[in-house]
Amino acid sequence: MPDVKMVVCCKQVPDPEAPPTAFKIDPTVNKVTLPRDIKPVIGQYDEFALEAALRIKDKVGGKITVLSLGNNIARDVIKKTLAVGGDELILLEDESFEEGDSWSTAYALAMAIKKIGEYDLIFCGRQSSDWDAGQVGLGIAEILSIPALTLARKVEIIDGKAKVEQVISDGYQVTEIGFPSVITVTSELGNLRYAALKGIMAAAKKQPVVWKPADIGLEPSQVGIAGRRVKLAKLFQPAKDAKCEIVEGESPAEAGANLAVKLREAKII
Amino acid sequence: MAFKGVDYYGIEELLSDEEKMFRNAARGFLEKEVEPLVVNAFHKEELLNMKELAPKMGEVGMIGATIPQEYGGGGANYTQFGLLCQELERVDGALRSFVAVQSGLVMYPIWQFGTEEQKRKWLPQMASGKIIGCFGLTEPNRGSDVGGMETVAKKNGNVWVLNGAKEWISEASTADFALVYARTDEGVKAFLIPRGTEGFTQTFTDKKGAMRVGDVGTLALNDVKVPEEDVLPGSTRVKHVFACLNQARFGISWGAIGAAMSCYETALNYTKQREQFGAPIAAYQLVQRDLVNMLIEITKAQLLSYRLGRLLDAGKAKHQQISLAKKNNVEMARMCARTARSLLGANGCSYDYPPIRHMGNIEAVYTYQGTDFIHTLILGQDITGIQAFTRKL
Repeated sequence: MPDVKMVVCCKQVPDPEAPPTAFKIDPTVNKVTLPRDIKPVIGQYDEFALEAALRIKDKVGGKITVLSLGNNIARDVIKKTLAVGGDELILLEDESFEEGDSWSTAYALAMAIKKIGEYDLIFCGRQSSDWDAGQVGLGIAEILSIPALTLARKVEIIDGKAKVEQVISDGYQVTEIGFPSVITVTSELGNLRYAALKGIMAAAKKQPVVWKPADIGLEPSQVGIAGRRVKLAKLFQPAKDAKCEIVEGESPAEAGANLAVKLREAKII
Repeated sequence: MAFKGVDYYGIEELLSDEEKMFRNAARGFLEKEVEPLVVNAFHKEELLNMKELAPKMGEVGMIGATIPQEYGGGGANYTQFGLLCQELERVDGALRSFVAVQSGLVMYPIWQFGTEEQKRKWLPQMASGKIIGCFGLTEPNRGSDVGGMETVAKKNGNVWVLNGAKEWISEASTADFALVYARTDEGVKAFLIPRGTEGFTQTFTDKKGAMRVGDVGTLALNDVKVPEEDVLPGSTRVKHVFACLNQARFGISWGAIGAAMSCYETALNYTKQREQFGAPIAAYQLVQRDLVNMLIEITKAQLLSYRLGRLLDAGKAKHQQISLAKKNNVEMARMCARTARSLLGANGCSYDYPPIRHMGNIEAVYTYQGTDFIHTLILGQDITGIQAFTRKL
């Protein structure tokens, strides 16, 4: 089936490869603070989701609309989605979108997808690369009343349906899902292709469309922190207490046996 | 991406989205595909397999970035090319050499001085990385003294016959063809010579202390016959040779920043972790002085190259300005490599850390593409009006 209409949700997150010591938590306001030199990136799982859509476009043709929600979305980061082959970029960008939870994010994205109108497949990463909640994709499906499949490692279009290989604990299962539907994608699908110079130069000519809450029929009170249904009770860095104990023995074998006894006593094995 | 860059003066804000995107794409590609191969290759002086890597680099748009898209290039501006060179040399100078040679020394002259047929024949294949070229200018007896070139080409009917030798040629043994300069009765001309041409020998030079992951070697020309259609018609004078060198020299000015960034970042992280006398060595004043000196020189070099890129894009850059940037930035990277090596103490002598590898590479860069002395004299002539290259004894 040619020309599959796809929406891919991509979130801008702080670079997860930044050293953990760079992230500071302020427990008085329950917030993570980042130094300025930690650059944002597109969430890794969202990149896999985009790659899934690009492979479908390569094989059977289609249109990819990338959707991103946040505030101060870095253009040089998010336009990578256009450089690799996305056709259109819509940013839900406003101060009021900040600090939402999975529900308020899914709700705003679903309203934007409704406004986009025509869609066959909605791709999301299996979870974000910052909070790891893993709920937004399924939330969008619930709000739009469409089916969803999770943890896709391969997606193909066959006879007007998506044939999906889903990762399970001991392998994978093959399932089919009709249109329209939501598919969340996992790392086994493979990395997003590199942005090539020609794609970057072509993307430079495209400008993202920016929608505010009112553009998708929402009040500022329905999005971001105001629209949260989950309250963050406490955010803090757990104190870690590390102790080192040398397990001795007359021989390596005896030391090993002594270690095993201690691990058993500690109920680790 | 693990590397966050060195940007003390907010140069990031001066870059366009597409400039940052291309830099980031190159950084991501190189960190994943190339960087893990470099240390062992350098240690063993085993060449990176450019026949395998070049097509991948071509896909990302790293080869011939500034060449127009109609000839397979990327249509990038000079700042994008510079940022690419920075990322390449941050990984290893030989990679930047490879790209600078392909783009600035082989593709650029074909594009500027070649026929339409030559452009269509060579440029798209080179941009895709399917074909590798080399640039034959330096000779065993003629380095800086380009005008004294000993390789000659004599016309015999519709064929040129070349004799001579070229030395210290990047990609010499790998190249599918060479762009070779030779003295003729009609001036210095550029000849395109495919691999395997009778009398044309390509040899690898080993036992180098620099650029050990890159192919460097010699070209020997023994009655090599080149048909007229493989001569670049627009390149007839030494000044046309320098037009190509200016491309590569600009790339070097950015590449040197990449090497220096690598050294600075390594030294900064190391000195913050390494403890002596009960404190991280970064807590000591002498160490801080060294770190700050590196940062200051890198920042100045960045501003220089950034401005130079914008001048080139506007068509306003003088070749003397390119000399200034090449000379300054390479000297800066040389200082950073030595300083970082020293701050790392004995570990600085290990290839487990990049400074000593950059230190070797930057010595080659200090000499090639116009030695530091030559660039000094170019600038000296520009400000005094008196040339000091030659003297009669």
